[in-house]
Amino acid sequence: MAQTNNATLIRREIITRLCRLYAENRLDEIDRIPLEMAPRNTTAHNSRCCIHKARAIIRYRIMALLGFNVADETDELETLYSYALRSLAGTDRGKGVLTVVDEACTSCVKSNYTVSNLCRGCLASHCMVTCPKQAITMENGQAKIDPARCVGCGLCQDACPYHAIIYVPIPCEESCPVKAIYRNAQGIEEIDYEKCIHCGKCMVACPFGAIMYRSQLIHVLHQIAKPAKPVVAMLAPAVCGQFRADYTAVADAVKRLGFTDVFEVAEGAVLTARHEAGELAAHLESGREFLTTSCCPAWVEMAHKHLPKFLPDVSETWSPMRYSASMIREKYPDAMVVFIGPCVAKQAEALKYPGVDFVMTFEELGSLMIALNVDFQDSDASVPGEVIRERAFAISGGVAGAVAQYYQGEVLKPLVINGINKKNIALLRKLSATKHDYNLIEVMACEGGCLSGPAGISAPAVARKLFNARSGISVDQIAITGF
Amino acid sequence: MTEKTEVSICFGTLCFIMGGSAFELLSEHLDEELREKTLIRGMNCPGYCNQTSEYGKPPFVKVNNTLISEANLQKVITAVKKEVLHGADK
Repeated sequence: MAQTNNATLIRREIITRLCRLYAENRLDEIDRIPLEMAPRNTTAHNSRCCIHKARAIIRYRIMALLGFNVADETDELETLYSYALRSLAGTDRGKGVLTVVDEACTSCVKSNYTVSNLCRGCLASHCMVTCPKQAITMENGQAKIDPARCVGCGLCQDACPYHAIIYVPIPCEESCPVKAIYRNAQGIEEIDYEKCIHCGKCMVACPFGAIMYRSQLIHVLHQIAKPAKPVVAMLAPAVCGQFRADYTAVADAVKRLGFTDVFEVAEGAVLTARHEAGELAAHLESGREFLTTSCCPAWVEMAHKHLPKFLPDVSETWSPMRYSASMIREKYPDAMVVFIGPCVAKQAEALKYPGVDFVMTFEELGSLMIALNVDFQDSDASVPGEVIRERAFAISGGVAGAVAQYYQGEVLKPLVINGINKKNIALLRKLSATKHDYNLIEVMACEGGCLSGPAGISAPAVARKLFNARSGISVDQIAITGF
Repeated sequence: MTEKTEVSICFGTLCFIMGGSAFELLSEHLDEELREKTLIRGMNCPGYCNQTSEYGKPPFVKVNNTLISEANLQKVITAVKKEVLHGADK
């Protein structure tokens, strides 16, 4: 879920600055951004030790924004401009979608349990006695945990009669549903791309903004600037929850940014829903027990990497993004196709299948609008336009509802998995091991659906309110009754 | 009846993206009494964001005649309370 906090705002400021430089043909000044954002003789934000560190972090953020994995740096003196040119040349593409800005990672705590100064150093020393790893010693009249020995079992916390031992979470690790992020030997977080499902939860969770997605924005800017081919944008269904504007006004604003044409992914979603309904009926007829939806790329990745038992029952119907891409190519056969959405995982999906050239986020769209001074107040498109019911794909429960309206077959028993988290993963494992009578399982990685996507513009509650007001569809209605 | 306290939220893209979207829920965050005495409206970008050295950073919100920079829900609610109370004194 997107939240507007200082970490998000700094990212947006950097994106805006990059867009501005590109638009003004001053990309060679990109190495000045860190200096401009953390100028000499100012104090750094109190969470950083000094401006030099602040600048270094901004530099690495820009590296991610130019599409690089920060871990792939080989020469610390390589300029950002050089990275920009390399990115545009499109020669190298490292691993993963998410990257850790290691300079920004404060390697939170060495051990999840820590003894607060409420410790009385009591005679009984329940904590020491209870600890199965002898990780606790008494020093200067207080208990002390040796992080090298502590395994994080928490028995000491339960044992302390003064409640003096506290649990300190590591937000990124805590938020990751698949244990794909861990501290390396240097104490810095590292992502295991064999496990990562690109859901983006760690990025949202990190209070230091140390995790970023590798952006493709510079390529989009480049395509827009050179008019060789039409550059066509498609807007994900969650678009109706991003701005104080109706779909037509947003589409108009996107055109003013320089895109040749704009499509609504909800139109592709109509095809997804229809085909998935047909696939579901055939799947059940063939004797399989259930089908899961496949429009959420983080869920499909999850099934591949962590729940392979589900694979035969994950729908093979194209996602709305893929259908939309093929619709665009019918009209513009040689177009550069850009998906714009709230999702980080879509980037991985777009790399897997042909059809979509680049993926951009709503946050980047908003920042680009700032850079090019595109405001809604001077947009003359204010007709609400046609309401496509499949906009509901942006909401948890909306996909199952859309499939249901086209489905013909035995009685439908849908189950909605609202968010991939530890609890729901346990539920999914149980569903794969035991008998149940659900025959359609909708899975969305983000709680609430794409409206809560990690790269959206506003907090989920705001996005829901805007979506209710602007999309022509009621979120709450869908949550209760389905379509 | 006293005049309502006017809250003007900048509807410019910059303010909206840089945190102003939170004010979509402003009325939900005011208690009923305050809400009744407040008029929330939007304003087209007055251009404060072009002169940050003078006005501070976005997002901008005006509560009656007081301009709030780097506005967030708490700052605005505090300002609204102050204005509403001040109005009662008069």
